[in-house]
Amino acid sequence: MFKFIKQYASTIENCQVYPMISLIIFFVFFVVLLWFVIKMDKKSVTHLSNIPLDKPEIESNH
Amino acid sequence: MQTEKFYYDNKTVRNFAYATILWGIVGMLAGLWVSLQLVFPSLNITQYGSFGRLRPLHTNAVIFAFVGNGIFMGVYYSLQRLCKARMYNDTLSKIHFWGWQLIIVFAAITLPLGITSGKEYAELEWPIDIAITLIWVVFGWNMFATIIKRREKHLYVAIWFYIATFVTVAVLHIVNSFELPVTLFKSYSWYAGVQDALVQWWYGHNAVAFFLTTPYLGMMYYFMPKAANRPVYSYRLSIIHFWALIFLYIWAGPHHLLYTALPNWAQSLGVVFSFMLIFPSWGGMINGLLTLRGAWDRVRDDVILKFMVVAVTAYGMATFEGPMLALKNVNAIAHFTDWIIAHVHIGALGWNGMLTFGIIYWLIPRIFSTTLFSKKLAHNHFWLATLGMIFYAVPMYWAGFTQSSMWKQFTESGQLKYSFLETVTYLKPFYAMRSFGGTLYLIGVVLMVYNIYKTVKSGKLVENEVAEAPPLVVEHKRQSGEHWHRWIERKPVYLMVLSLIVILIGGAIELIPTFLIKSNVPTISSVKPYTPLELQGRDIYIREGCYVCHSQMVRPFRSETERYGEYSKAGEFVYDHPFQWGSKRTGPDLAREGTGNLKKTDGWHFRHLREPSSMSEGSIMPAYSFMLEQNLDTSSTAAKIRAMQTMGVPYEKNFDRKANQLLMEQANKISKNLLSDSIRVSPRKEVIAIIAYLQRLGKDISKP
Ligand code: HEC
Repeated sequence: MFKFIKQYASTIENCQVYPMISLIIFFVFFVVLLWFVIKMDKKSVTHLSNIPLDKPEIESNH
Repeated sequence: MQTEKFYYDNKTVRNFAYATILWGIVGMLAGLWVSLQLVFPSLNITQYGSFGRLRPLHTNAVIFAFVGNGIFMGVYYSLQRLCKARMYNDTLSKIHFWGWQLIIVFAAITLPLGITSGKEYAELEWPIDIAITLIWVVFGWNMFATIIKRREKHLYVAIWFYIATFVTVAVLHIVNSFELPVTLFKSYSWYAGVQDALVQWWYGHNAVAFFLTTPYLGMMYYFMPKAANRPVYSYRLSIIHFWALIFLYIWAGPHHLLYTALPNWAQSLGVVFSFMLIFPSWGGMINGLLTLRGAWDRVRDDVILKFMVVAVTAYGMATFEGPMLALKNVNAIAHFTDWIIAHVHIGALGWNGMLTFGIIYWLIPRIFSTTLFSKKLAHNHFWLATLGMIFYAVPMYWAGFTQSSMWKQFTESGQLKYSFLETVTYLKPFYAMRSFGGTLYLIGVVLMVYNIYKTVKSGKLVENEVAEAPPLVVEHKRQSGEHWHRWIERKPVYLMVLSLIVILIGGAIELIPTFLIKSNVPTISSVKPYTPLELQGRDIYIREGCYVCHSQMVRPFRSETERYGEYSKAGEFVYDHPFQWGSKRTGPDLAREGTGNLKKTDGWHFRHLREPSSMSEGSIMPAYSFMLEQNLDTSSTAAKIRAMQTMGVPYEKNFDRKANQLLMEQANKISKNLLSDSIRVSPRKEVIAIIAYLQRLGKDISKP
């Protein structure tokens, strides 16, 4: 099994594609992340950021 | 809803805090001592106290003992509060605490004895590696079980940083520690040459990322809001900070290997990702500093906030400098010089040190239910630490620039302007100033010890601090329309798996091709395995930590090929378990020591090792006169050869049986050679083996 992969991988000629592939992966990852972070609702953000401070009055009720 | 009463475990927190302080002093003392050795080489007292063995002791003590215990102190305190739950199991906490201290003690004993794997920041030998793995699992188990039985539904961002730390350090440690044991105290890295270098710096860089940075960021996100009594500036930013940071960091390792024999595509990968790291890092710094918005007036009087502000600023400086250092043209200047030493100390003294002190001053009075003994002393500590850092870093930056420019200057007739030795003696005053800076910093820590001692005396430890919270109603299903990230936040295991995937992508794309694609390490037919004597000599080289001062990697610059000879090729290192490229040139590169214009007689090496300054006036290299008296341990030769064979080094069949005979033949030759230079020394001495190794360096490639 491992041999098979090894043979296959050693035929990849141009490794210059690696930096490109990884950049694209990161870019996609980052855009998705950004999208969801922007869409987070305000109430839960306030709740989360107050967790260390132990202020019960800000406790939201989800 | 009915609330539950429970108790926070403060005793373990206190223990880790004490251990942090104790090992901090040990590690800093070791650092001060080795810095003095570079000014006064006569301070290399006996083989157990020589620079090459003590510098790893300093780095290991600061990273794994001081910062390590600091992490556990911070995690055990904040995790319980963030989860509204006591640590899962007191016995696990105890095993974790004492196990970690035991590992440190073993490290402190074995490193001076020369028991080392020869890989920077991963020097500890295989039995200790196994112990580290086990204790790390205990830590992870205790942490996860606490998270699972928590009373707060959502995982605050600090906990994600802790989880990512746990997962990644585990992966790094295991992958980098693949080694073949030869005896109880000696093993060989499973990887060789270029591959070993790549794995090592993938590990090394991410040890910085996931041991010195992510857990401390988690602590920043908890203790800074606590100390300032206001929430973090932007929680959204902290999410981006987290994911972008762990995604990018894992790729950045190859920036330690620019211009080396590492394949070019891997170098480019390192450069690009290192550069991008500046954005999440600065996002995190800004998030930390802006947490104090509207409270800046308090920073003036509040020493704890002062420590934290300088810590976060130092984080910002180091993470600006890091990406710059990863640019190829800057790296060409800075690599192998004292600039890097300055860079890491901005991180260690500034970021880790200052944040640790701030947290200790904040936390000790609280768990002892008292107030800090003296704010004034703490202020003095703060100023000593800040000044110490400046007196440390400025001379080192200066030394780094000077060193680099002296290495690279040519005369008009096209010759190198300075001998290496001239650059060494020129730097001594800078090294002395650095020791002064370190002393200031250490005095500050001593003030802290006194202050904390008095504080502790004035209070009483609240071993079990009472708290109350409603129990968590377990929801297993993702509610429809619920935000995916909120859902993940509630699921620590998914969070762990996701961060694991994120770091594995980077690791895999970087490491696997180097292992599988043949063209990445072109073979050179004239490169042959070491003779048994050379192999033994190489192991002495590793034991003595010569690699902390000497590189074995000639970069393709004219200034280097003029000084050292032909630049290094990937194929030259295929039998090097472990690689010994080094990262710092306190002494000259040795990759071509046995050839060309560097070639010296056996007698020269003998005299130089006995008393370096007798051959190179003003040298700061430690004397190795004990090698003239100590016999080479040849009982291990056969086992070493067999280990090499197991890893694919092509010694002929049954070579192990005649290895010692061949070893003696070569040793006799060198001994005779020395005799003709009027040096009488038995062929059984260690010095013979190390001379054999030094004379071999660079030979293969210069063969016709
Ligand atoms: C404290 C750092 C340090 C350590 C540790 C160290 N050296 Fe050196 N070494 C130097 C310095 C500085 C020089 C340059 C001055 C000189 O020639 O002594 C040097 C020079 C040399 C040279 C001469 C190189 C040349 O071409 O001029 C050799 C060979 C050498 N060291 C071998 C070793 C070996 C082998 C070890 C380990 C047993 C070792 N060194 C450990 C600092 C160190």
